[in-house]
Amino acid sequence: MSDQVLSRQTLAQKILARAAGVAAVAPGTRLRVKPRFVLAYDFPGILEPLFEQLGTEFGLARMPDPDRYALFIDHMVPAQKPSEEQVHQVTRSWASANGVRLHEGDGIGHQVAAEKGYGLPGALVVHFDRHVSALGAFGALALGIRRQILEAFAFDSVDMEVPGSMRATLHGRPRPGVMARDLFNHLVLRLGPGGCRGHVLELDGPAVAALTIGERMTLCGLATFTGAISAIVAADDVACEWVRRRTAEPFEPLFSDADADYAEVHDIDISDIPPYVVVPPSPANVVPVGAVLGRPADQGYIGSCVSGRLEDLRAAAHVLRGRRIAPGFRLNVVPTSRELMGAAAREGLLEVLVEAGAFVSSPSCDYCFGHIQALAAGQTAVSTGPLNVPGRMGSADAHVYIASAATVAATALAGRIADPTPFFARA
Amino acid sequence: MEWGILRGRAIWIFSEPNFDVDRIVGVAHMTTTRVEELVRVCMRDFDATFPDHVQPNDLLIGGDNFGYGHPHYQAMIAMRAMGIVGVVAESFAPDFLRGEAAAGFPLVMCAGILQGVTRFDVLEVDWRSALVRNVTRNTELRGTPLPAHLADMIAAGGLLPHLQRRRSTRRWAPGPR
Repeated sequence: MSDQVLSRQTLAQKILARAAGVAAVAPGTRLRVKPRFVLAYDFPGILEPLFEQLGTEFGLARMPDPDRYALFIDHMVPAQKPSEEQVHQVTRSWASANGVRLHEGDGIGHQVAAEKGYGLPGALVVHFDRHVSALGAFGALALGIRRQILEAFAFDSVDMEVPGSMRATLHGRPRPGVMARDLFNHLVLRLGPGGCRGHVLELDGPAVAALTIGERMTLCGLATFTGAISAIVAADDVACEWVRRRTAEPFEPLFSDADADYAEVHDIDISDIPPYVVVPPSPANVVPVGAVLGRPADQGYIGSCVSGRLEDLRAAAHVLRGRRIAPGFRLNVVPTSRELMGAAAREGLLEVLVEAGAFVSSPSCDYCFGHIQALAAGQTAVSTGPLNVPGRMGSADAHVYIASAATVAATALAGRIADPTPFFARA
Repeated sequence: MEWGILRGRAIWIFSEPNFDVDRIVGVAHMTTTRVEELVRVCMRDFDATFPDHVQPNDLLIGGDNFGYGHPHYQAMIAMRAMGIVGVVAESFAPDFLRGEAAAGFPLVMCAGILQGVTRFDVLEVDWRSALVRNVTRNTELRGTPLPAHLADMIAAGGLLPHLQRRRSTRRWAPGPR
């Protein structure tokens, strides 16, 4: 490899090189990497066959190196049927028999993974689920590798091709009432739903530095809808301090070289962007809220692995304080973790939301995919979840619009899609 | 399958970009596991007679970023059960690519394919080298080969046999040093 390539490494390349035990890597190269952490949540048809195959196909009676693995129970919580509880039972007993950490009742896994310190700056983390990319908020490279997660359980390393990187530098200060979700939707508009296909999207610039950890997790967690395999923000003092408070694990952040080789570089001003709404049936359909103002909605949802954090709950409470949601409208608010729910309670946010008429639930993934509070045919939801394909939240003949927590809250008051920015207008 | 050449008709062309494959069997069937049921509902929203037209070795054609969204496995399970042997697309969403390579399903990234094929054209596809020959038109397109580890996975017949091979050989694929 030429010295030029050696000295022009992006953050993602450096993380992969470290995980492979080599000095540097070039995009397109085949690589065998050892993830620092391997994560998974239980779901019917995923973990149980995997546990079985580890024994029958790979002769693993017990997991070597169990500290590198962590499991989460966050879907089908609380279990509605004995068969769901049985899925959890299989996970519990395997985790216990193998000495693998299991996080149950703590909240949605990608958030809990952050709270437990699995998103170490400079570390490679793998999961089967793509939204683990949220851990990119800490300067970790977190990849959703789908069924290849079996390789990460059966071996201490996984094979992959080194991805290229693209960089988006964000400038400006968003208007009040414009949230991280809107920033992300602006990226989809600017870069295109396939614009970063196969690449790691590195986010930087003053507008990213100004974001809280929760906001960075929202941005990174949605990376897949730009086509990116993950997104990452180099760990700054805020991120490192956040992680140090959660774990005693040592870590060493990595940073892109000043002359790192990006496939594309974008400069994006976010000063004037509006709140956006993603119109069904695809996460690619981003429009300014103004284009869909007044469309009737039956239900709202604030939560999921890409929302439901304090920033989102504060925005919703700001809109709803002292007001009542529209008659007949159902607003479900689901803080993303137990820790966040406690913090929201201490701040008085839950009280505001409940008094406005919201149905506040303990953390669970189930509202996001219509496993609970499913929509009937013809109904419309406005959701902060990741996805709006038909059937995502119940009937395939229901409609799901995606928006920020502020927009969902404003919609809940009106019973129709509404612009939240008037609630945030500077006095 | 290893080093195999696929030869079949372009049985359907999904020309729209960012196509969500869940629409093939319908999102109501994302938890359906019975293959016969998936075949029964396959393509119902596009052409209810589709299953009657499919012959063994037929191929699907896709547009840009084919498989965008949260691609579930049901759609291609149904397609394979009917005899479809691969997809040639302008490009694939990474999640779809990874998921179907794990199922041992040949995928060929071939820019220009939408212009280069009409429904029912006979194609001859060397999926490993991404060479697509349109036998009907007597034209040829050269696509981009898959990442090597995914190509190996497909060649092995899917993730499990691929990993069993890794286990038995302990073959180390060295990275650059």
